[in-house]
Amino acid sequence: MTATAKQQKRPNILTANPMSMVVTRGADRLVIYGLLIVMGLIFAFPLYALIRRSFEVGGINNYITLFTDPIGNVPILSTYVNSLFIGVGHAALVVSVSTTAGYALSKLQFRGRELTFSGVLLFLAVPGTAILIPVYHITQQLHLFNNYLGVALPEAALTIPFGVLLMRNYGRNIPDSLMEAAQLDGASHFRIFWNIFLPLARPALANLTVLCFIWSLQDFLWPSMLFTNPDLATAAQAVKLYSNVIGQSPEQYGRYNASLVLLAVPAVLFVIFGLRFIVNGLTSGSTKE
Amino acid sequence: MKTERSAPRKKRKSRSDLRVAVVFLSPLLLVYAVYFIYSIFFLGETSMTKVGISLRNAVDVGWLNFQMLVGDAAFSRAILNNLLFAMVSIAVAVTIGFFIAVALATGVRARKLFYLVFLLPALIPVSLVATVFGGMFQERFGIVNETLRSIGLGALAQSWLNEPGPAFAVVATLFAYLIGLPIMYYTADLAALPTDSLEAALLDGAGTFRIMRSIIYPMMTPTHITVVLSLLLGSFRGLEQVYFSTGGGPGHSTEVVGSYLYGYINSGGKTIGFTAAAALIVLVIALIISIAQMFATRTRKGSR
Repeated sequence: MTATAKQQKRPNILTANPMSMVVTRGADRLVIYGLLIVMGLIFAFPLYALIRRSFEVGGINNYITLFTDPIGNVPILSTYVNSLFIGVGHAALVVSVSTTAGYALSKLQFRGRELTFSGVLLFLAVPGTAILIPVYHITQQLHLFNNYLGVALPEAALTIPFGVLLMRNYGRNIPDSLMEAAQLDGASHFRIFWNIFLPLARPALANLTVLCFIWSLQDFLWPSMLFTNPDLATAAQAVKLYSNVIGQSPEQYGRYNASLVLLAVPAVLFVIFGLRFIVNGLTSGSTKE
Repeated sequence: MKTERSAPRKKRKSRSDLRVAVVFLSPLLLVYAVYFIYSIFFLGETSMTKVGISLRNAVDVGWLNFQMLVGDAAFSRAILNNLLFAMVSIAVAVTIGFFIAVALATGVRARKLFYLVFLLPALIPVSLVATVFGGMFQERFGIVNETLRSIGLGALAQSWLNEPGPAFAVVATLFAYLIGLPIMYYTADLAALPTDSLEAALLDGAGTFRIMRSIIYPMMTPTHITVVLSLLLGSFRGLEQVYFSTGGGPGHSTEVVGSYLYGYINSGGKTIGFTAAAALIVLVIALIISIAQMFATRTRKGSR
């Protein structure tokens, strides 16, 4: 398979029908639909349970009071903003480190390049909890407690191995001839990186950026350890914060579930509008070349 | 592809961009030096002490923390649970996950909606999903027990989260529920599957499900390996799945290493040295699986 054919194919992962010929009989199609619908209902059931519960006792008021009288004085909207700010820092750090390293590991010739790449991949799966103690210490030394950057940094550190893998794989698919032509014209590597590599890598950058935002929205570990100020609480963190404040009484339980529904909204919107970027990004690290 | 690339490389064998490469790699090296290399040294140093989270006034205790860890049943239980939960999610991913991906790739109506339903749980905050799961299995008001009572199966209703067996089943179900990533891996690799052998099977008159099982399934072996390793690693990265559903209990019966470490770090006691020792062991396990993954993908590349 040539590199260009693959690049053209990738954006269509979610819409291509490579297997359409597999279904030979109309009855089989019905069976497939039946199984998909049953599994779809099972997968959607927790969401249904959540939404149903969110209207219990107070009805729609459960939602309205979340805005008029926020739980623990932490408005839902501010958790969105906090997650967004962290996401911006996370994405900026990951993109700048991953593109430069990805360029070096795919387009520059030097001894030990593959060894360096293997060393990068070694840390692809470091559990955040395993480096929690040192990161706590580092954050203390840098005076970055209760600071968006303090959370964005360790998030980025854990995402960067993946980002480098993604950018390096993408870089390998960019034909060398483009850069060689620029080099003959006397362009430096910094110019080539900025004027040729980065513009060509835009699709990969889009995937990586969307993933950084999704992961910042998902992250509970770092904000819960590095933020003590409830005003900075992120969406994932507020799940616990609200539960601490509101307790588990049946009267409040509906309201708590309403808050959970609203806390999910940014992630759901990202998935609805960015699913293609997410799937392309997550799978480009794994697919064969 | 290999021959394409090696030709120009040979031509400029004498050229080396090492200096430029160091500049381009320096941001990466800085991040790695601080967050991974320094972290490992810091863990090593801390693991030999008795100290609180303030990290002040550390008392040197030698290998004592590691000795305590070896004798700690909860820690070995957590590692075992990570493997068991990973096995459950792997079993579900390579069967149901695979089928979902193939079925959706055959071109069904409302496909985008199906993708959303199957992938969404894995992409919204896990803390939220796990909380909802915990709520569903709550003893008095949980929808599971309510449903069981309403259909006359009240005898089956139980306090799911307070009994080791049922609590374990709840967390295992949650891990099985979060198989969005494997579905994505299968979807991506199905889109790149060569179709000639499928056409041959069709000419032989093989039925839909036979083709799925006997032709496509074995063709996806590299993807199966990716799925197994990524779920194994994901399990050791897991925290919220347990922390927000059962809290690791009852006892330590549903503890995973993530919730184990997190619990000790937030315990407020002088347990940070001990936890650093546990973290080092977890790190070694993750690195070993990472190396296995690198070898697995390398042979994949070679075989292509």
